[in-house]
Amino acid sequence: MLTGLLRKLANAVLLLFAVLVLNFALIHIAPGDPVEALVGEMGGATPELIAELRESFGLDQPLYVQIGHYLGRVLQGDLGYSTYYDQPVTHLIAERIGPTLLLVTVALLWAIVIGTILGVFSAQRRNSWISHLVTVLSLAGFSAPVFWIGIMLILLLSVAYPILPISGMTSTETATSTIGYILDVAHHLVLPALTLGLIYLAFYSRLSRTSMLEVLETDYVRTARAKGLPKRLVIYKHALRNAVLPVVTFAGLQFGQVISGAVLVETVFAWPGLGTLAFESILRRDTPTLLGILFFSALMVVVMNLLTDVIYRRIDPRIKAT
Amino acid sequence: MTSSSPLLSVRDLEISFRTGGREIPVVRDLSFDLSAGETLGIVGESGCGKSITALSLIGLVPSPPGRVSKGQILLNGEDIVTAGEDRLTRIRGNEISMVFQEPMTSLNPVYTVGEQIAETARAHFGSSRAEAWDRAIEMLKLVGIPSPEQRAHNYPHQLSGGMRQRVMIAIALVCEPKVLIADEPTTALDVTVQAQIFDLFRELQRKIKAAIILITHDIGVVAQMCDRVMVMYAGRKIEEGPVRSFIRDPRHPYTRGLISCIPKLSRDPSDTPEPLFEIPGVVPSPADLAELKGCAFAPRCNRAINECQLHSPALTPLGSDRAVACLRQEEIPA
Repeated sequence: MLTGLLRKLANAVLLLFAVLVLNFALIHIAPGDPVEALVGEMGGATPELIAELRESFGLDQPLYVQIGHYLGRVLQGDLGYSTYYDQPVTHLIAERIGPTLLLVTVALLWAIVIGTILGVFSAQRRNSWISHLVTVLSLAGFSAPVFWIGIMLILLLSVAYPILPISGMTSTETATSTIGYILDVAHHLVLPALTLGLIYLAFYSRLSRTSMLEVLETDYVRTARAKGLPKRLVIYKHALRNAVLPVVTFAGLQFGQVISGAVLVETVFAWPGLGTLAFESILRRDTPTLLGILFFSALMVVVMNLLTDVIYRRIDPRIKAT
Repeated sequence: MTSSSPLLSVRDLEISFRTGGREIPVVRDLSFDLSAGETLGIVGESGCGKSITALSLIGLVPSPPGRVSKGQILLNGEDIVTAGEDRLTRIRGNEISMVFQEPMTSLNPVYTVGEQIAETARAHFGSSRAEAWDRAIEMLKLVGIPSPEQRAHNYPHQLSGGMRQRVMIAIALVCEPKVLIADEPTTALDVTVQAQIFDLFRELQRKIKAAIILITHDIGVVAQMCDRVMVMYAGRKIEEGPVRSFIRDPRHPYTRGLISCIPKLSRDPSDTPEPLFEIPGVVPSPADLAELKGCAFAPRCNRAINECQLHSPALTPLGSDRAVACLRQEEIPA
C-alpha cells in the first residue's frame, strides 16, 4: 500500500510539472501581455519604456528560457511577482485562500450532507413527494446558471426581505470582539455558500439517489434483509456505506475543482477569495498571478485526489488489496 | 415425514407481478408441506418460479412490482403472508433462513465476515458485541472454516467462493432456524466444493435438526440430498413424491425429460456416446401462460394429445405419497 501511495505521489509531481509548463505556454500563446495591459492603464507610453518594462519582467527572453526561469523559481517556492498588485503572488494567494476555502468547504459540506440525505430518502420511496422534489431540484440546479441563482437569492434575501448582506465578507464597521467577527463573517457567508451549494446539492442528491437505488438492488442488501435485520440497519449500515462511495470520490475531485467553480459566485458576491483574484488577474493580464492561481488549483486537485484515495481505502476494504 | 402437523404449510399460493398495467401470476395454485427435519427438493428449469417461491417464504417478494396475490404460507400455523414487517423481521434469519445462489455477491463487501455473522445474532438474540463475536467464530468453526479467529476478521473479497458460501451458511444457521432454504447453493461453485457444501448441509441438519428446502435444477443433487421432491413447471407444481420413486419412476413427461437429460457416463471408451437428450422448446413466459388454456407443458410434450391443449390438468394423487398433474399419466408406461 505504501509503495502504491509513493507511486501516486511521484505521478502527482509529474502532473504538476506538466500543468506548470502547459499553463505557461498557453498564456504566452494568447495575444496581449501584462505590459500592454499596464501601458493601457497608464494611458500610453513610449516604445523605449515599453521595451524597458518588457525587459524588467523578462518578457524579452525566448519562451523556453522564461519557462526555465519560472520553473526554477517555483521549485524554490516563489510563484513570481504580480505585475498589477505589485506584491509576491504567494502573498496574494495566501491572503485570499482562507475566504475561498471557507466558502467552498461550507458550500460542499452542506450540499453533500443534505444531498445524500435527500438522495437516500428518495431512493427508498421512489414515487413520494421527496423523490419528485429531488428530481425537480436537480433539474433546476443543473440548468439554472449559478450567477442567476445568486442574483435571485440576493433579490429575495437581501432586497425583498433584507435579512442577509448583499456582498463582501465583513461589514464596514469593524467588529470589536472575535465572536462578533466570526458572527459577522458567518452572516456574510450564508448567501454565497447557499448559492454555491445549490449546484452541488442538485448533483449530490441525484448521485446518491442513483447510487442508493443501485445498492438497494444488490444481493448483499437482500441478504441483510433475509437475515432479519431491522430496516434501519439494512439502509444505514449495509446500503448507505456502499452507496456513499461514489459521493466520496466526487466530493474529493470536486473540492479541488470548486476553486475554479467558485469564481462566478465570488464575483457575484464580491467575496474576497481566489476566484475574484483569478477573475481580476485575467482582466488585467496579470500573468504571474494567474499562473500562480492555476498552479495552486492544480495542487489542490492533486492533494484532494490523494486524500480521497486515503479516505476511500478506509471505507472500502477491497481497495487495500489491490 | 416425522410429525403429523407440518412445520411449514403452503396453501394455494399465487404470486403475481405487475407489468404493463396487468398483473400476471408467475406462481399459481402452489401447495406443499414441510415437516421438521425433512429435506424437500424443488426442481425445475430457470424461470419456473422456484426462487420467487423461496423468497415468498420469508416475505421478500420484491414489491412492487410483485406480491403474494392469493393463498397462505403457514409457519407453525401462523400466516406469513399477512404478517407485518416487524414480525417478518423476527422470522427472517431466526425461524426461516435462506442461503442464496451467488456467494460472490451475497456478502457485503465493506464489513468483515465475522461482523456479518455476529450482527445476525445481535439482531435476534440481543447478544452483546463480545458474545455475538464469539458466536460468529463458533459458527465459522462449525461450517469448517480453518483458523476461524483470524478468518472472522477477513473481508469477503479475501475468501474463495466456497468459503464465502460457508460464511453464508454460517449466517443462515447462527440462530438455529427451523427452516433453511437453500436456493441453488452450489451452482456458482466448483464440483469438488459442491460435495463439501452438501456434506456440510447434511451434518448441520443432523446437529440443528432444521428442515431444508433445497432449490436446484441438478437431479444428481436431489438424489443425494432430498427426502421428497417437488417438480415445478411454469409456476405450478406438476409432480411430487418421495425421491426414490421420483428417480425410478417419474410420471410426468417433463420429469421424465429432466431425468433423461442427465448425461450417462460410458464405462467403455470404445462405446459411441449416446447423444445428449434435451427437452425441445423453452418454458413459456408468464404473459403467454395467462393466455394458455391447456397444459403449460403441452407445446413441448412428445405425448401431448388434443385434450392437453384444452384443459389444464389438476394435480391428482397417485398412491399415498405422490401426486402428478398430467392427463395421460396413467397411460405412461412405468
